[in-house]
Amino acid sequence: MGTYFARRMLLMIPTFIGITMLVFAITRFVPGGPIDQMMLKLQEASMESGTDIGGSTMEIPEASLAALKERFGLDLPMWQGYLHWLWDVVRLDLGTSFKFNEPVLDVIVNRFPISIYFGLIGFALAYVVCIPLGVLKAVRHGSKLDVTSSLLIFAGYSIPGWALGAVLLVFLGGQLELVPLGGFRPEGWADMDFWEKVRGQAYHTILPVLAYAAGSFATLTILMKNSLMENLGQDFVRTAFAKGLPERKVIFGHALRNSLIPICTGLGHAIGLIMAGSYLIEKVFNINGIGYLGYNSIVERDYAVVMGVLVINTVLILLGNILSDFLYVLVDPRIRFE
Amino acid sequence: MSADQQNRGDGKPVLQVKDLVTSFQVGTNRAVAVNGVTFDVYEGETLGIVGESGSGKSVTSLSILRLVPDPPGHIDGGQILFEGQDLLQLSYAQMRKVRGAKIAMIFQEPMSSLNPVMKIGAQVAETLQVHSKLSKSEARERAVEVLDAVGIPDARARLDHYPHQFSGGMRQRVMIAMALIAKPKILIADEPTTALDVTIQAQILELMKGLQDDRPETAIILITHDLAVVAETCDRVLVMYGGKVQEVAPIEQLFEDPRHPYTQGLLGSIPDPKHKGEPLPTIPGNVPHILELPVGACRFHSRCPIAEERCRTTEPALTSVGHEHSVRCHLVADGIDTFARMREHAAAPRTEEVR
Repeated sequence: MGTYFARRMLLMIPTFIGITMLVFAITRFVPGGPIDQMMLKLQEASMESGTDIGGSTMEIPEASLAALKERFGLDLPMWQGYLHWLWDVVRLDLGTSFKFNEPVLDVIVNRFPISIYFGLIGFALAYVVCIPLGVLKAVRHGSKLDVTSSLLIFAGYSIPGWALGAVLLVFLGGQLELVPLGGFRPEGWADMDFWEKVRGQAYHTILPVLAYAAGSFATLTILMKNSLMENLGQDFVRTAFAKGLPERKVIFGHALRNSLIPICTGLGHAIGLIMAGSYLIEKVFNINGIGYLGYNSIVERDYAVVMGVLVINTVLILLGNILSDFLYVLVDPRIRFE
Repeated sequence: MSADQQNRGDGKPVLQVKDLVTSFQVGTNRAVAVNGVTFDVYEGETLGIVGESGSGKSVTSLSILRLVPDPPGHIDGGQILFEGQDLLQLSYAQMRKVRGAKIAMIFQEPMSSLNPVMKIGAQVAETLQVHSKLSKSEARERAVEVLDAVGIPDARARLDHYPHQFSGGMRQRVMIAMALIAKPKILIADEPTTALDVTIQAQILELMKGLQDDRPETAIILITHDLAVVAETCDRVLVMYGGKVQEVAPIEQLFEDPRHPYTQGLLGSIPDPKHKGEPLPTIPGNVPHILELPVGACRFHSRCPIAEERCRTTEPALTSVGHEHSVRCHLVADGIDTFARMREHAAAPRTEEVR
């Protein structure tokens, strides 16, 4: 088994290289890169001040252009540029953001707590609600509660989380003014006492967390329900009843234990989701987390940050997959990886 | 267990099933799977219930412990008397105290009948823990004893193993241990050897036969479609067809003097080395679909080679034809030698095909 996981870890390397190489190549081909943007800025500056640089408006001296290219690593052929970048990544140097003028690693690490805050709460909310709901729906299959909750769940499933977030924001935030229009912290945070802080933070948390949870709500609840129903029909459940166990023990001791297997293993995959935030939800709610950072870095062609966020996401998802396999081994005694 | 047969006569019934009716919802119809089944089970005997698939034998056994899935199934009527109580009238909590403790059951599929994510020791001990105040460690000690008794080698070490680490035969032994640990009065075995290969079958049957050596008062109800298994293990046999008992007889009598044409057909279709190379006799046709079973007629008439007009119009009653031997057949009730009729029919040229 140790060899299995060692092999899985080693397989992460080519996967990682494949993903990053592809995105690196795209950043090189897409127009509007850092040099273009720099030139645009210079142009704007010169138009504002009304002065010409060196006679014509557009000209940038060859020497400065070469210096800029060197600074962004654009002077080398693509494959060399990638190898340089990869070597830096290995030494945990993700480069410098040209927008923030800070090391990319710092930019990302500073935003981690925000994304994890929303990710964890949304994720916990989904599990805390979906698992009991799924169990209840399975045990009372076909009841009013089952049917109405299914309707709600599928309605929620048809709406993407960020769209639901936007609708709620317009309605509850814009029209009824029940919740703030976005942001991570309430205004005047420093002057608040503890309970004001809790209240303010809660108001800022509700909608984004709902949007996060809505996405996994349907799949998780239905997965839980179907998995439990399937197990309730198994022979070993009949055996448990034949032993004289009370229904509660049959459901929770025998059937549920088996039906939690697919749920547990989903935890591994969720790690990436929890930590990396969501591009669109953070954008909608104007939350300055990893997702928002990634989104803006693409729009602004801040390639060092784009690649940095990609590195973090890739590593998290790849590790999450291995974690899932590992959880499988923990919860299901039948599974042994050779 | 022919040695115990004298027990049977003066033994008292430990379980009495009377007019049991169990039906299932099939689409918009109700299919009556068990239709007025009556029989007794005596202390210390092994009663075989045989029949083809769909004859109602498994549903009968599940009904005794009220394990028929409801819905779609439902026990519509009858009585199941055990220790002076009608099991069908017990509350859910009272019924729980019977299951596993007084009447235990083992099932056909040892692969799927054990919980795959629970250790064997815990599963076996659990039966005891729900029915007694024994501590966990005491229950585990008992589990070692029973597992040892059913022939699991190195039982103590095996407690912490999971079902998938056992072979099919060993799993069925675990099931038997689980059923026996609370010392039930009745053990119901629903096709316990069907899923096992022949050599393992023989071992499990041997084990089941040996159970009554240790606890002679334990009654066993063995549900099977395999007459060879019946011949080897049972004291009495109940032949079921179409949800009804067609013939009840002590084992020797059933094999030597089967009266019901269906029983004769079943026995006739056992391969016999003396007739090697000849086509195997079979009962013509198939078991009718449960919704198409004849009503108000003999259930078997559509497949019976010697059926008469009255077999199609009136339903025969279960009639006693000897000591503990009853048959549900118009012809037998009139004293007609059905065996001779069957032979005549077989010899006669096939002019009329069976409907």
